[in-house]
Amino acid sequence: MGQLLSFLWLSLLSICVFSSSTSAADYHEQLNLRPLPQSALLASFNFRSNTSVSEFEKGNFRFFPRSLGQILQHAGTRELHLRFSLGRWDAESWGARPWDGAREGGTGVELWAWLEADTDKEADHKWLTLTNALSGLFCASLNFIDGTRTTRPVMSFQPEGDHSTTTNMHLLYGVLPHEVVCTENLTPFLKLLPCKGKAGIASLLDGHKLFDASWQSMAIDIRPICPLDGECVLQIEQTIDMVLDIDRSKRPRDNPIPRPPAGHDLPCDTSKPYHSHDTCFPADYTAHQDWSLTQIFGKTMKGTCPLADPAVPALCLQVPESRSVFVSEGVREKKNPDRVSRCFDIPPSTHLEMVLPTPDDSASISVTPEAPLLYAERSFTGHGQERGGVQTILRNPSPDTEVEFIYMESLPWFMRIYLHTMEARVAGQSHANKSLIQQVYYRPAVDRARGTQLEVRMRVPADSTVFLTYDFEKSILRYTEYPPDANRGFDVAAAVITILDPHQERQGSVSGRFAAYTLRTTSLLCSLPTPDFSMPYNVIIFTSTAIALAFGGIFNILVRRFVAADEGPEAGLAVVLGRLKGRLMGLVKGAVKR
Amino acid sequence: MPRLLASALQLRRDPRMLKLPPYLSLLCILAGVAWLFLLPLDQYSRRTYISENALLPGQVHTYFGGSDQNVFRAYKHEANELVGKSNAEFNDKLEPIIKGIGLKTARQNFTYHAAGQTFSGENLYAILQAPRGDATEAIVLVAAWENVKGETNRNGIPLALTLLRYFKRWSLWSKDIILLITPDSIAGPQAWVDAYHDAHDPARVSSLPLKSGLLQGAIAIDYAQEGRFDSVHIVYDGVNGQLPNLDLINSIVNIAGGQMGIGVALQEMWHHDNGYPDRLRTMLRGMLKQGLGLASGPHSSFIPYHVDAVTLRPFGEGWQDEMALGRVVEGSFRSLNNLLEHLHQSFFFYLLMQRERFVSIGTYLPSAMAVAINFTIMAIALWVKSGQPAEVTTPKSKTETPAPATAERDLFLPLGVVTLIQSLAIIPLYLFNHVPESALTPLFLAFTLLNTLLPPTLAHLLATSNTTLQQYHLIQSFSLLLLGMFLSSLATLNFSLALITGLLAAPLSFVRPYRSTAAKVAVSVLLNAVSPTAVVLAAAAYWGTDVTTVLREAAVGWHVCGTYSPVVVYPRHAQ
Amino acid sequence: MDGAKVTPGRTAGLYAGAAVLRLAIFTLFPGIPDLLTGRVEISTPVTSFKRLQEGLFLYNHNVSPYDGGVYHQAPLFLPLFSLLPSSASLPIFTYLLYIAVDLLSASALWRIADSGESGSSALFTSPRREKRWSGFVIAALFLLNPFTVATCIGRSTSVFTTCAILHAVAKAVSGAPFGAMVALSFASYLSMYPLLLLPPLVLLCYDRQRSGRATKSMLQFAGTCTATVAGVLSVLFQLSYLLTGSWEFLPSTYGVQLTLSDLAPNVGLWWYFFIEMFDSFRSFFLAVFWLHLSSYVAGLTVRIRRQPLVVLTLLLGIFNIFKPYPSISDTSLFLALVPLYRHVFPLMRYTFVSAAVVLYASCLGPAFYYLWIYAGSGNANFFYAITLVWGLGLSLLVCDLMFAVLRDEWEVERPEMAGKEIRQI
Repeated sequence: MGQLLSFLWLSLLSICVFSSSTSAADYHEQLNLRPLPQSALLASFNFRSNTSVSEFEKGNFRFFPRSLGQILQHAGTRELHLRFSLGRWDAESWGARPWDGAREGGTGVELWAWLEADTDKEADHKWLTLTNALSGLFCASLNFIDGTRTTRPVMSFQPEGDHSTTTNMHLLYGVLPHEVVCTENLTPFLKLLPCKGKAGIASLLDGHKLFDASWQSMAIDIRPICPLDGECVLQIEQTIDMVLDIDRSKRPRDNPIPRPPAGHDLPCDTSKPYHSHDTCFPADYTAHQDWSLTQIFGKTMKGTCPLADPAVPALCLQVPESRSVFVSEGVREKKNPDRVSRCFDIPPSTHLEMVLPTPDDSASISVTPEAPLLYAERSFTGHGQERGGVQTILRNPSPDTEVEFIYMESLPWFMRIYLHTMEARVAGQSHANKSLIQQVYYRPAVDRARGTQLEVRMRVPADSTVFLTYDFEKSILRYTEYPPDANRGFDVAAAVITILDPHQERQGSVSGRFAAYTLRTTSLLCSLPTPDFSMPYNVIIFTSTAIALAFGGIFNILVRRFVAADEGPEAGLAVVLGRLKGRLMGLVKGAVKR
Repeated sequence: MPRLLASALQLRRDPRMLKLPPYLSLLCILAGVAWLFLLPLDQYSRRTYISENALLPGQVHTYFGGSDQNVFRAYKHEANELVGKSNAEFNDKLEPIIKGIGLKTARQNFTYHAAGQTFSGENLYAILQAPRGDATEAIVLVAAWENVKGETNRNGIPLALTLLRYFKRWSLWSKDIILLITPDSIAGPQAWVDAYHDAHDPARVSSLPLKSGLLQGAIAIDYAQEGRFDSVHIVYDGVNGQLPNLDLINSIVNIAGGQMGIGVALQEMWHHDNGYPDRLRTMLRGMLKQGLGLASGPHSSFIPYHVDAVTLRPFGEGWQDEMALGRVVEGSFRSLNNLLEHLHQSFFFYLLMQRERFVSIGTYLPSAMAVAINFTIMAIALWVKSGQPAEVTTPKSKTETPAPATAERDLFLPLGVVTLIQSLAIIPLYLFNHVPESALTPLFLAFTLLNTLLPPTLAHLLATSNTTLQQYHLIQSFSLLLLGMFLSSLATLNFSLALITGLLAAPLSFVRPYRSTAAKVAVSVLLNAVSPTAVVLAAAAYWGTDVTTVLREAAVGWHVCGTYSPVVVYPRHAQ
Repeated sequence: MDGAKVTPGRTAGLYAGAAVLRLAIFTLFPGIPDLLTGRVEISTPVTSFKRLQEGLFLYNHNVSPYDGGVYHQAPLFLPLFSLLPSSASLPIFTYLLYIAVDLLSASALWRIADSGESGSSALFTSPRREKRWSGFVIAALFLLNPFTVATCIGRSTSVFTTCAILHAVAKAVSGAPFGAMVALSFASYLSMYPLLLLPPLVLLCYDRQRSGRATKSMLQFAGTCTATVAGVLSVLFQLSYLLTGSWEFLPSTYGVQLTLSDLAPNVGLWWYFFIEMFDSFRSFFLAVFWLHLSSYVAGLTVRIRRQPLVVLTLLLGIFNIFKPYPSISDTSLFLALVPLYRHVFPLMRYTFVSAAVVLYASCLGPAFYYLWIYAGSGNANFFYAITLVWGLGLSLLVCDLMFAVLRDEWEVERPEMAGKEIRQI
């Protein structure tokens, strides 16, 4: 619970910072470092800037990135959320997700936006414009989000910003599970920042480190915010969360190969009776707890961004108060009252270096992470390329409170799901439990036109595990519809699980989310039956031959008339034999003549 | 098409044509066998090659070794303490070690009942999640406590642990790596794979609490022998005669032989001078294994689920140490890790006759087909013959049609008899797979007796119920037709089994209703000699095991024996 | 056992036996129905029972089952099956329904056989006609045919079409044109292709109409029949419209059969052809295939004018080879009608060959399908090759039957040629 409080504390701080000065455009940035168990380190960067809506309409963007702003204006986008994610968050050992999962997406690229349009058709048109423009801006194949990949969720998402109720807005949601997120997406991301990654915490961001992370998620959220007093502002929030493996990051870049260390500097458990110079039981996986900014990010932090609001501390660290931290001089350390986090005031133009030596007692290495509200794991059942099933295991760790959430799947059309086979049962019980599923919104797929959209509002009782299963059938495609690596299989987007806030009070616009916690399962790989891609001509020829044989045979019999074998002209085998005979005779005669 | 057939039909009347078929089918059988013996020649077999280019076997440096050997020794000490302990005990001991490496672990209980025995145990498995990866694909490393021979896998378990600890340090894995530690080599892996694909019976096999993505391949380490080894023995036969993709074997051969300079052996041919006899022996052993279709190692259970898998078993006295085998596994895993698509290129039907020579299905299938076809030929011949108004024609056919035309055929009795006989085969199949082990041998004897007596009684029944010669012809014709049909479809699933069964059943296509008693006796003796019961006895005697073990193996393994059923009942034509 | 005396006892025995057999399989092996429902040889996208369940579920939950890619079957199935208790909780009622349908088809077949139409129609009387099988034997052959049993156990909805077609023919031979037309329009409503059977059926009715109120003019008669079919069909469509509340069921049921948008494998020749077809030619070849399918109707109807029942039989045989989504249930329908021609069997030449081919195909098909889909060691060509063989074997059977019938006709004008070798020129 501890560091969750601290998160709230920080965000509240930042909120009041804004609402104090909403009228003026402002910008602030913050980096949160949190050591995790198993020698992992969570670094979450957060950049937030805004401009007043009136100025935005006039095209006077201030800190708001112009390139993005123009796209939004052109596509009539009121609110936009874009996610680039890679890897999986290991909830068992790392605990709850940063930002309660609000700033992350499933593997690949995820995009959802509220567009202002009168008709669905117009909304689709604007959506097309938006995706194409964004794919150009972020060097991602967002333009592949076509009709079959676009859905219109009804329960899972709600606008985070404040919108006037008069405008009718359409929510569209698209996801590309197969998209590989990499450096070329980071560069345009940094370009949107006022300091362009030259100064401030953004200077720590480096492609190699970012994409070597065990899990990372880049998010862009744009929403209008109307405080009770003052005029509405359009706020853009850019977030980068990544979990770095300290052990891996500390390797020198010129020699990243993990060769076996020399025998003597192998951490051994000397208590073992057989321990000797050539026999070493490796000590537990708690080594490499000491690290420094330069080791982790490969460089020091270049001061602060001059445009950033100095009231908000640029760097915060979440370790137990007892752990000692050394920073370069000039930097002031402020311990927060929650005793598990501390922030640093960094004077501009100082190259910040921070060192955390190995603590003497293991308790103070890291704050024990707090358990998430729900664990979810999704996998395929069955084998073979004809049909299969999807099974999601949902575990509610809390001993007393039950969790209510919305489970959303957006599946490709060639997975034909059988909704009547969907059932939820509590682990240990053999029969399905009807009361678990409260509400289902289902939009079946249409071949080659629309994907399946499934939203299930369900609950998991306290301290119990629920299996949600349904069957599906794999359809076989035209051979032109397969990708070049057809036998790899097709990626199925992650399921989005939105845990509802038990008490839905909306205080403050930013934190007033109806979702208490959001998480996404891993994506799946669905292998379809494949035809033989080298066969089109042969198949056409063979089938046509078979048809021709039948057709010929039947009409042959229909049109001919019968005669006795000895009537009419010679035909059939006898003729052939006769000809052969004659030919042979001729040859023989010729031979005789010569 | 009909015109051609029509003109071909002219020949049907020709008496010479009716003499032909027996010789023709005999020719087929001989050709099939001869073809088989040609295969090992260079002209008919091919050199192996890697057709999935993504594998790139042996292209990477392997770094396993150095101080990992110290760790290996430590783990080996740990493992040695556990020898002889109970399944739960060593799982309790190993789980913290694996957790210490930093992996997620889980367990699975299973209980099988076969031949009155219970095979129960607990699998322990761990998942190394691919860094930056998403749980979409996985590779499996299997290490069983006991190999098929019942020896303890003294070096395999610690080696697997050390490898996993080493793999954890790499960041290049694109697929999860699953370490599976099973108490035995047959039931454990079977239970785990079944549960992984949710094809298990929850009553006997518990579901898996922890899962990953699609299995792309599996490698089992069976390193029971102490000390250093000389070469690696690749075991690749799957359950029911299915084989892993040839690319997997090729890449391991390539890595072990080409990169590490370790010898590679197949089918227990410890010494192989790439000559004709050795090639033939390797091939025949392979075919026999395939025909039996029993599990030959921990890998066997994976193959029916389209997961290509092999078992590596070091053997011989040499200078290669455990690290060398570890490097082979590392290299193979790096190759599998490169895979973009599931292995699909290359071959799934092949006969290996040397580690770098094989014959593909196109080359060897004709032999099995020839054997299967001879039955069909005879069936057609008998059909035509039954069409001929014989000297003892049914009164109906006499009245109906004058001499040259085909006689009327009375189909009901023959069809009935054949269907009945075929369906009888279910009984032994059911019995042999459901009686306790103690009852197997008596049951077997009773069945043998029955099997010897049934045909004569049947024949007698038929004889008494004034069946015409034509009906005899038809009965045999249908039986042979069915037999040929079953064999040819079996040949596509399990080539070797089809060939063996076909050869054993060959005499059936030549039996005729004989007049003389001597001929009757002789033929019935011959037929009983090739009847499955006799074959089982002979095989048991040859390998020096008793019938019970053979039958238990069969019961524990798969019901391949069901396919023998057509053969069982044919000798009746002898009378 | 030709023309054996049939006592009511034997009749009841046969029906009871067939029913008990099916019930036994249903109840003793509860796994088998779902297994067979999943087989591609039995249930196609337009007849699958599992898809019907899905459609039913959506229909009962007020989601339009036609606004999706799963359910392609006639709307009237929905109320019918929603009247039954759900097959998940109380399957026995579904089983009984399917068994009843099979028995109904058998009784219709029985009536057709006993009418003797196959032997002697209005315009033609076969010299061999006295050698025929009784309705009992033919019904038995249909009820105990493994294909029929498998279809019934697999609960494919094509059994309803089979039943409707057989009843149409039965009505026709018993001289009830109206009933025949109603039954035919039901069949066409369920699976469209039976509409092609209209011309021969009209002829059959025309020939067999009762002497009392016989319409003289052929054209007039045909006109009324067509009008009847059109009327009944429009009523059915109206009903469906009222049920589903929109016309979107038309593209989703018949459109799928016309455009083959669902390429699920089956025993036919279409699926793999259109998987491998180039996009630019797809529509063209679709047109060609449909044209080919309908081209047989005219030819056969004109040439074998004297025996309309033969035309029906042959057409059913051809359809079960060349229709978009064939399954073994269509084969069982064809094989049910073939024994009516017991009297021309001696004239058939390749019975053994075609039977052997069909047997081989039905044995190798599942094996190859397993190799392709589950073992992964074979590829799609394996199964495709078998569907080719299957098609060829059946077409050979059709050709042979047609040859025998025509020769039978021919021998009436050339009695001395009976049993002699003949050729066609």
